[in-house]
Amino acid sequence: MKRIAVAAALIALLSGCADLGVKPWQRDILAQPEMQLISDPVEAGLDDHIYFSKEATSGGRGFGGGGCGCN
Amino acid sequence: MKVIRASLTAAVLTLSLSLPAAAAELTPVDQAKAAPMSGTVLATASGQKKALDDFKGKVVLVDFWASWCGPCRQSFPWMNQMQTTYQAQGLEVVAINLDEEPELAQDFLQQIPADFTVLLDNKALLPEAFGVMGMPSSYLIDRQGRIRAEHIGFHTNKVNDYEDSIKALLVE
Amino acid sequence: MAVDLEVVVVAVTKMTSQTEQAVAEHQLTHETSKASLTMLLASAGCALLAGLPNQAQASELDNWDFDAATLIYAESDSRVTAAEPVISATRNFDSETKLNLKLALDTLTGASPSGATPSDQAQTFARPSGRGDYDIKAGEQPLDDTFRDSRAAFSATWSAPINRDWAYSAGGYLSSEHDYRSLGVNGSISRYLNEKNTTITLGGSFSSDSIDPEGGLPIGLSAMAVPGSANFDQDFSNSRQGSSDDKTITDFLVGVTQVINRRTLMQFNYSISASDGYLTDPYKIVSVIDDSSGDNYGGNYQVNGQNLYIYEKRPDTRLKQALYWQTKYQRENSDIIDFSYRFMFDDWGINSHTLDLKYRWQLGDHYLEPQLRWYSQSAADFYQRYTTASDYQNVDEISADYRLGDMDTYTVGLRYGYRMAGGSELYARLALYQQQSSGSSGFGKLKEQALYPDTTATMLTVGYKF
Repeated sequence: MKRIAVAAALIALLSGCADLGVKPWQRDILAQPEMQLISDPVEAGLDDHIYFSKEATSGGRGFGGGGCGCN
Repeated sequence: MKVIRASLTAAVLTLSLSLPAAAAELTPVDQAKAAPMSGTVLATASGQKKALDDFKGKVVLVDFWASWCGPCRQSFPWMNQMQTTYQAQGLEVVAINLDEEPELAQDFLQQIPADFTVLLDNKALLPEAFGVMGMPSSYLIDRQGRIRAEHIGFHTNKVNDYEDSIKALLVE
Repeated sequence: MAVDLEVVVVAVTKMTSQTEQAVAEHQLTHETSKASLTMLLASAGCALLAGLPNQAQASELDNWDFDAATLIYAESDSRVTAAEPVISATRNFDSETKLNLKLALDTLTGASPSGATPSDQAQTFARPSGRGDYDIKAGEQPLDDTFRDSRAAFSATWSAPINRDWAYSAGGYLSSEHDYRSLGVNGSISRYLNEKNTTITLGGSFSSDSIDPEGGLPIGLSAMAVPGSANFDQDFSNSRQGSSDDKTITDFLVGVTQVINRRTLMQFNYSISASDGYLTDPYKIVSVIDDSSGDNYGGNYQVNGQNLYIYEKRPDTRLKQALYWQTKYQRENSDIIDFSYRFMFDDWGINSHTLDLKYRWQLGDHYLEPQLRWYSQSAADFYQRYTTASDYQNVDEISADYRLGDMDTYTVGLRYGYRMAGGSELYARLALYQQQSSGSSGFGKLKEQALYPDTTATMLTVGYKF
């Protein structure tokens, strides 16, 4: 039952997402390298290394998505 | 753990069902739709006014592109080659630019010159009607103005299929 | 296709290498100075490139993007200094298929807190190796100044589309320092929905680490041998339990990236990480404080006239969970706001909040990017700044490592970048990082000691992308 509720909630959430977004030809800004969620992976890696060795929390950060959405 | 395994199995199943159909197949004439909005007049990159209807009687490769799109860059040299090789047999490559700012298209064309017609559709009048799903998207239109093939993206490993479709339509 | 997926299913991630896959649009033309990197790449194991004849190399190099950067990290008060050069090379096979190789080296020197409290008396500690000792003056922070290490880390990540709706990545990771080795694999699979406006990603990683500390593994909670005492060798070896141990870390992540509109992008994700094995820091100790009333109330507890310190001991499992939200928004004037929030909680009793804000101020070919970061964590259940004479024999787990205590940290940074013709970019970033710890202030004589000193560090990064 609980699982069905979670699945229903997820589907509702994702279909809500369908109203958001842009057409494939409107991704000019999203395609810019500086608009990537992690625009500088090297800097992000260096930061993660410092914070990993100085704080009790590490990871949990993001990955790709968005972008040019070409093809 | 179990949930993850289950969802990955689901992913694999969905995946095997959604593999793309083989390329280079032409839509049969009786199922082909007429190219939409063929009467819409747009500015060309060289400052003229043209509509798709102006190319009636020819095989037209319509390619929707934008300056920010990586694969679009790769497609230009190939489209130049198609235009040069098959123009005499009746092919016209018509690339429709969808940049909001036409200057970006001009900058792109400075870097990668086009030997074919470039239409500037900076208000995006056409792509919705064509059902553009990715960039670039191209549509192959036969001599009677019907859409006979379409593909999303530019894949270098499929250029032979693309070319075969063009050749097939030229001799129809 | 199914074969690819099985690899992904088995392969699993260090989320840090996930971060290397931002789907950056590939700029085509840049050529200068890449040739000089051919050698470096060859030595990095990139036979693919090095094996090609000269003529082919020129065009092969056009398919590569490089990012070379060096970070200098320096703590004030002559504590830790680190230098970390990194080179990242990405081979683009097409706009979405790429192989990223990354090599990072770092050298660390300086002194780091041993965990012991400062005292009104001078203190002498055995070095972790068991060879020699070091003295800390009265009222000073016990810092172990033998700290010196160098590390080399290499990672490789392959990412590619499967078809229009699916993409995957798979990678490996290897890092080595003189007392620590880590070997990991990772993978992810993404599903695009709603005209690629929604991306759902499932990722995982598995890493196997081994630790081989100098002087062997201390027995948690055992007494540190007293330097200079007649039975030092005997006591030291009694405080050891073999030479090495290991741990595994398994991570899973599920995330949603959503395009909100032409200028806004958002990501939500949930991750869970399980560590299992030796999670203790073998170089950290805990002071035992005298809590019997008298002259030494709040001073170091002594056994046979010598201060007693015990080795720390942590649980051998840890389950962390984190929620992460990031938003990126480009203003009409092309400035970019990047905001993220992370909430982490674990079964050690630690909760943490991280807020990160970057504002990229676009100035033609140049940009300035100020950054603010705030991080706050609550202490682990077993964290104690010190233990007492009446308690120390009753504790099961204890650590005085400030990194497990109540702590706030602040980062204030500024990055400057210059984008040159042809797509290369030169950048520099200066950041100040401050750590502020807090906790109970002790009792008796201990109250006069600074138990939670602030640490301030300066970070300078200089890099070049081409």
